[in-house]
Amino acid sequence: FRFKDSLAEDLRRADLVISHAGAGSCLETLEEGKPLIVVINEKLMNNHQLELAKQLQRDGHVLCCNCSTLVETLKSMDLSTLKPFPRGQPEKFALFLDEVIGFQ
Amino acid sequence: TGGHTTEILRLLSCLSESYSPRHYILADSDKMSEVKIRSFEEKRSETLSSSQFTLHRIPRSREVRQSWTSSVVTTLYSMLYSFPLTYKLKPDLILCNGPGTCVPVCISALLLRLLGIKRTIIVYVESICRVETLSLSGKILYYFSDYFIVQWPDLKEKYPKSVYLGRIV
Repeated sequence: FRFKDSLAEDLRRADLVISHAGAGSCLETLEEGKPLIVVINEKLMNNHQLELAKQLQRDGHVLCCNCSTLVETLKSMDLSTLKPFPRGQPEKFALFLDEVIGFQ
Repeated sequence: TGGHTTEILRLLSCLSESYSPRHYILADSDKMSEVKIRSFEEKRSETLSSSQFTLHRIPRSREVRQSWTSSVVTTLYSMLYSFPLTYKLKPDLILCNGPGTCVPVCISALLLRLLGIKRTIIVYVESICRVETLSLSGKILYYFSDYFIVQWPDLKEKYPKSVYLGRIV
């Protein structure tokens, strides 16, 4: 598994994803519509990685835990409480940029 | 690099054909991004009339968590490449989203502006990962970009001159 080119296939087949707090992993999983549990290791992580994980938890999109609470989380989790993650809107950016540059 | 490339390609995904030719500037150590960019451009050319794009490489200006003082040195070194490149391309628009690579390029564009050679619009989009704090590139370019876009409301509050459009990637 170590260095697969893409986890997309595995992601599509999964029912639940347990991941570290890397932004790419989190966002890819959420966009695929899979329930996600984020395991936070404060010792290893950049502070800023935590920001996204915490925000996603606040917004109800993921469950967070740390290594020692993972088993408990898995036992007591209620995945139906997780809210779907709306997709980003690059079209808003395109509109903004067109206006800024002066394209009609 | 990695996440930055994915994000910037998403930003480009809805741009019209007017945004051509496109010049992608990558760090010389970046292998993955070239693959992603080529794949994006190939897909794009299926629906939009084929337009030009070119990849350029400059030395990486900063490693993750590299110290501040040595970062200044490596950034200056990158500028030996980014300045002639920016001078040659004289871009109308620079779009960047935070990897260290963008700093020497933007500084080069600012120099060209100061020298009266070219007036480039600099648009910076902070990464979706940045919810409460700005990246180092963001902190620098907040003052030097023409438009500074953030993707979370907390940042809009902290950095009032920024633009908040919601999540755009």
